[in-house]
Amino acid sequence: MRIALVTLAALVLLPLGAGAYAIRLATLIFMWAALAGSWNLLAGYGGAVDLGPVVYYGIGTFATANLMMKAHLPFLVSLGLAGLIAMAIAFLLGTPTLRLRGAYFAIGTLALAESAKQLALAWDRLTGIPLTGGSAGISLPLSAGYLPFYYVMLTVMVLVTATAFWLERSKFGYGLRAVGENDLLAEASGVDLHRLKRRVYMMSALFIAWTGGTAGYWLSYINATEAFGAATTFQMVVMALLGGLGTPLGPLAGAGFLCLVSELLGTRFVYHYLIAIGSIIVAVSLFMPSGLMGIARMAIHRGGKRAETAS
Amino acid sequence: MTGIVAVLECRAVSKSFGALLALNGVDLALREGEILGIIGPNGAGKSTLFNVIAGLERPTSGTVYYRGCSMSGLPTHAVCRMGIAKTFQIPRFFPRLTVLENVLVAGLYGKGAGLREAQREAEEWLNFVGLVDKAGSPAAKLSISERRRLDLARVLATGAQVILLDENMAGLSHNEMEAAVSLVRSVRDRGKSLMVIEHVMRAIVGVADRVVVLNYGEKIAEGSPGEVMRDPAVINAYLGEAYA
Repeated sequence: MRIALVTLAALVLLPLGAGAYAIRLATLIFMWAALAGSWNLLAGYGGAVDLGPVVYYGIGTFATANLMMKAHLPFLVSLGLAGLIAMAIAFLLGTPTLRLRGAYFAIGTLALAESAKQLALAWDRLTGIPLTGGSAGISLPLSAGYLPFYYVMLTVMVLVTATAFWLERSKFGYGLRAVGENDLLAEASGVDLHRLKRRVYMMSALFIAWTGGTAGYWLSYINATEAFGAATTFQMVVMALLGGLGTPLGPLAGAGFLCLVSELLGTRFVYHYLIAIGSIIVAVSLFMPSGLMGIARMAIHRGGKRAETAS
Repeated sequence: MTGIVAVLECRAVSKSFGALLALNGVDLALREGEILGIIGPNGAGKSTLFNVIAGLERPTSGTVYYRGCSMSGLPTHAVCRMGIAKTFQIPRFFPRLTVLENVLVAGLYGKGAGLREAQREAEEWLNFVGLVDKAGSPAAKLSISERRRLDLARVLATGAQVILLDENMAGLSHNEMEAAVSLVRSVRDRGKSLMVIEHVMRAIVGVADRVVVLNYGEKIAEGSPGEVMRDPAVINAYLGEAYA
């Protein structure tokens, strides 16, 4: 707890001592940590591999942008409302899809995300209500500096992580983990698995929408192909797996590691760094299936043993 | 049977899987505080009967009543919360949760207890089945006989009044069997009513007040263990006509 507070204080104060580049990189890491962490809530604890979380990223992006530009609401108000819209849609979409199990749920959600992308691309033409700008996308007003984004992304990441820690110790978390481990047994023990899964799906939709809405304003240009693109989903999944599925800090570790490595290698080996990243991911999944958190746990465990034998 | 309100009752329960009729018009009643043995050859429909009663499968026709209320159409978790829970023939568990957490989930959701109460009760039930010293280890590390006891502790923690044991004593040594039989009796002494599927006749005769015999999905006999064992229809089902 103390370590967490000290780290948080350091992150809050970081902009005082760091340059613009460092702040932008940190914001990017927070963004991916929040996304990977949101995905981890459902997949890591509830055992449901969702391959369509980007639906809520896209909804968050476009809802925030439209509320700001059409309704002239302030950014944070738009963002908050976009989260609620995403939750409502997650309720509607989650009710039928979460009844699918295993690979069927994964494929179903992947198809859902692709349909959402096509719908978003065709929306303006189909409905006559301009919301997405079709394939041209929409430009947002230029934002005031980069610091607000740093703090909003930090807040979302902290909320996601706090939720994961809550799942480790709460009634809801025990039920959800039971569902993830053995859904039939969980039901036979009295767990209403559909309700639990839908609830965590909605939470994760909320956080993903907030991240998407913030990212859209930050970049000040959004288009449906990217906002609903499967690449975002896969990066979330890879980061969560790399860091350690079903652990509160795993997605943070995975996002931080992958963003930093991409940044370091990407500036030096512009075309070849993806090969290196691919190799690292393959190596971790082959030799360390529990991810970076697994490595950390083992190191701590070994350190503890060494201390025991020394005393 | 008339006059006594059964805690659980099956009326004309049938279940078919495609062309296979696994249960065919089974009527039975479980009395309050009773231990009812369910026996029958392999494939007689015993486990299917338990799955239907515990809400894991829907009957094709017929109804299960719990204290006079129809359980038709209730989802699995609701049946558990009403007060019917079963162990699994191949014990199931949450492998990465600790032994204590496995039981805790049942207390939190099956019984609807708060965290602290469920925690205390989970410890009590682990103590009851003799697993309290394993409370902190992952469930995946338990031996088969320990998994059976964990399954029992989980079912008890749901607060269920009707407990269905599906071969919970299978594959135990002589001594373990004695302990298991007395465990089943002490579950009853806590006011529960039980239905027990068992292949080991010695275990059934020692523990059951009454026995129902199934064969090819139909009830072929019912009565005290002694009566049922002498019933020609039962001997026929188990050993063939030459012995009847």
